[in-house]
Amino acid sequence: MGLGFIIGVFGVLILSHAAYSTIQYRGLLKIMEEEFSGPPMNVVLELLLGFVFCIWAALTVPGKFLSIHPDSEENRIVSLSANLDFMIFNHRAKAFPLEIDMKLKH
Amino acid sequence: MAGHSDSNSSEKKSSEAMNDVPTFSAENLQNNMKVIYYSRTFMSIIGGVLAGILGFTGFMGFVLYFLVMAITSIGLIAKAKFSVHAYFDSWNRIILDGFMGGLMSFVLFWTFAYDIVHIF
Repeated sequence: MGLGFIIGVFGVLILSHAAYSTIQYRGLLKIMEEEFSGPPMNVVLELLLGFVFCIWAALTVPGKFLSIHPDSEENRIVSLSANLDFMIFNHRAKAFPLEIDMKLKH
Repeated sequence: MAGHSDSNSSEKKSSEAMNDVPTFSAENLQNNMKVIYYSRTFMSIIGGVLAGILGFTGFMGFVLYFLVMAITSIGLIAKAKFSVHAYFDSWNRIILDGFMGGLMSFVLFWTFAYDIVHIF
């Protein structure tokens, strides 16, 4: 129920109002006994406005496109943990020989 | 010398094979296609209502459908920030997919709106 959805509902309402105005216009033409050649100017403007609103809704409501590249920012599988800054390697265990070195010597 | 050139060509081949294999996330592509179908269906319904209210009959209505679909395509490309290949594997996905299915709902809502506004 975002902003796009409300705009879409508004666009549909404008379109239905345009349809109602056209029905009234046709009733008027019937009384004046004239032929229908095209909708009046205000209906055309209303249709354009409603159309623009509906395009807006159609482009924003369904959701975002997601990148399909495996190496883009969003699709990274490998990620580093957030607390890297708090890791300490310079502590007292440095005084002891490494396990790998022991294996190499013996 | 021959061995050197051989290895070179095999390297080239392997790199070409790497390029040929499509490497993209199928799930995200499917999500993007869903978004496209949603937009196209909605826009074809709105286009049908538009054609019905304007009182188009015959060929003019289909011209309007093409126009609406072209505008929708441009809008979708703009939504993809004009870098289509970052979101789809080919241009056809964004330009042609959902065109025929949309035509059916377009005709349905075209006749529906025309009947309501101009006949009843």
